[in-house]
Amino acid sequence: MIDADDRALMKETVRSAIAGADGREAVDRILGELGWLEMLDTAPSDAIDVVFTALGASNATASVLDDVVASALGTKPRADLAVLLPGFAAWDPPGRLDARGFHAHGLATARAATAGEMLVVCGAASAPSAVTIPMTVPEVRAVRGIDPDAGCHAVRVRDSTLAATRLDPAAWQSAVALGRRAVAHQMAGASRAMLALARTHALERVQFGRPIAQFQAVRHRLADALVAVEALDATLTAATQQPNPETAALAKAVAGRTARTVAAHCQQVLAGIGFTTEHPFHRFLKRTLALEGLFGSADEIVLDVGRQLLAARRVPTLIEL
Amino acid sequence: MAFSNIGNQDSRPAPELADFRAKLHEWLDAHHAELAPRHAPPGTLDDHIAQMQRVKSILFDAGWMQFGWPERVGGRGGSPMLRTELGAAIAARDLTDPGLYSLIEVLAPTLIDFAPPELAAEVVPRLLSGAEIWCQGFSEPDTGSDLASLRCRAVPEGDPGTASRWVVNGQKVWTSLAQYSDRCVLLTRTGPADSRHRGITAFFVDMNTPGVTVAPLEMINGEREFAEVFFDDVVVPADRMIGELNGGWAVAMSILPYERSSCFWQRIAYLYRRLQMLVDVAPEDDRAAEVVGDAFVQLHALRARSRATQHRLAAGGTLGAETSVEKVLLATAEQTTYDAVRRLLRGTVEMGDGAAGETWRSEYLYSRASTIYGGTLEVQRNIIARRLLDLGSAE
Repeated sequence: MIDADDRALMKETVRSAIAGADGREAVDRILGELGWLEMLDTAPSDAIDVVFTALGASNATASVLDDVVASALGTKPRADLAVLLPGFAAWDPPGRLDARGFHAHGLATARAATAGEMLVVCGAASAPSAVTIPMTVPEVRAVRGIDPDAGCHAVRVRDSTLAATRLDPAAWQSAVALGRRAVAHQMAGASRAMLALARTHALERVQFGRPIAQFQAVRHRLADALVAVEALDATLTAATQQPNPETAALAKAVAGRTARTVAAHCQQVLAGIGFTTEHPFHRFLKRTLALEGLFGSADEIVLDVGRQLLAARRVPTLIEL
Repeated sequence: MAFSNIGNQDSRPAPELADFRAKLHEWLDAHHAELAPRHAPPGTLDDHIAQMQRVKSILFDAGWMQFGWPERVGGRGGSPMLRTELGAAIAARDLTDPGLYSLIEVLAPTLIDFAPPELAAEVVPRLLSGAEIWCQGFSEPDTGSDLASLRCRAVPEGDPGTASRWVVNGQKVWTSLAQYSDRCVLLTRTGPADSRHRGITAFFVDMNTPGVTVAPLEMINGEREFAEVFFDDVVVPADRMIGELNGGWAVAMSILPYERSSCFWQRIAYLYRRLQMLVDVAPEDDRAAEVVGDAFVQLHALRARSRATQHRLAAGGTLGAETSVEKVLLATAEQTTYDAVRRLLRGTVEMGDGAAGETWRSEYLYSRASTIYGGTLEVQRNIIARRLLDLGSAE
């Protein structure tokens, strides 16, 4: 076990290592050289925390989410294996095997453009199967969307000849849980970065003869942003210490809410400059909006969690002292 | 390799706590009938006080109340988290009101840390066993958020260093349970009028001392939980001074770690119970799912934050400005929970005249204070901006 100080140091190491990287493939290569896959294998929670927080903080694009999902599905991750992720705001397996044969559609990271093969999970979430297909099979389209730099791809597979193998019934749930934690860490890193940008601006921007950080209206917005960031960190710690689908789902829901709260307050404090592409704020805003759609948005997860509470008529505490 | 020094993170709560919790719940299950409230819901404040003292007495006689308190005040030692577990367990079972029960956490540690040892050893067991109730005399009519401006004055009979008695004159307000209390932890002005936090001294005052007058205030929910307290030439022995002369600010500030750790955990347990009561009867549709899901997410984030804080405290850390974060989370989550009740149990809070209506209405109205008491939301944000975000001083 490593303590919080060590993790903070490692986040900084990763952040500075990828800071000057030129493009997604360079970031992936640097993470590989730092021992990403070994760390994911031996200490997945720390690996995900360190790497995804650093990615979020530096607004870097990588494709290591594929490794997280592949390893949770019981497949050894490798740089030329992409994974088909669920579509925007969804979290069911992206594939179906029915009367029409095998078909799937969803999102993928930038790895979809370079990998040799793609891992595709199909079937019900509780009875998943998987198939690894050559990248010549799916239709792959780069998504511009709100964040062209995020490396998102839209993927569609239609092939009646494919046959999938059964996975452990819990495998898909584990993959979604770990994917949610990874994305939530990335959104936490991005949220803290947005707050840092707004804080710096508030201290430097002078109006009415004083830094705007002296105005209570500005201070309270930044304070509320910090409360949201801290709540997300605590929720992620809980999901790490007591890992299960429920704590991971809640961490992703809090990540979505936190990113929206922080972005709204920080954009208001940044005012005009935050509305331009001269200032880096817009990159974090756009990236968190794109990430919000991976493995379920806050709204969708909150609704789902609420339905489960009402169906069971039970409110579990999930974490104990 | 950058990541070579990594092992697996510990993924389980402390085993001795889990063991304590399991044994405690087993005992509480077995003594359910004995502990259950004697009054029909919602009950009056008198009923709630009587229930709390009865539960404390039963738990004290069975030895549970003493866990987590130092042996020199009659405790059984161990981590303070043991008593946090106890408070949370009885709050989660609706055996006591956590707001009333939490006065133990607010007041006993003050006596243990600052009072003369023989005084602490004499009186703390009386608080824990339900033999006594104490109150906290901090706020004054002109002293709300700005505690250091308090004016209730204590004057020595003779030289302040050697006087055997002090005479107190002034007024306190928002003093919870003053009319039920046997003692008061009282902050007084002992320095010059403008000495602020440097001229405050704490005393442990018997409420039956001549010159103490209590006038209960009716709250928004019709209960009389707090009061104005008047001090007219009230004589207090010098050995009832808590902490140093003019050292009362340190006494007042020492309460924060307890209020922001164990008290919060107990209140969170109580809010989970309230959300459970709502989920028991809420309609099963998507609007209700969104509303209860929202409250649940907020409670979970709060619980996660509070857990981390308590483990930090138990590991020897000190608590300070960063607990303003959970104060904001708690205040917000509490109001969200009761807003959920009002929205989903249509008309119950507003028009319900049965037991459910009376209970939910009273608690809903009480929850409006959660962004005010214990430091307003605005004061918390000021602290966060100044101390945690390091934004410098305000205009």
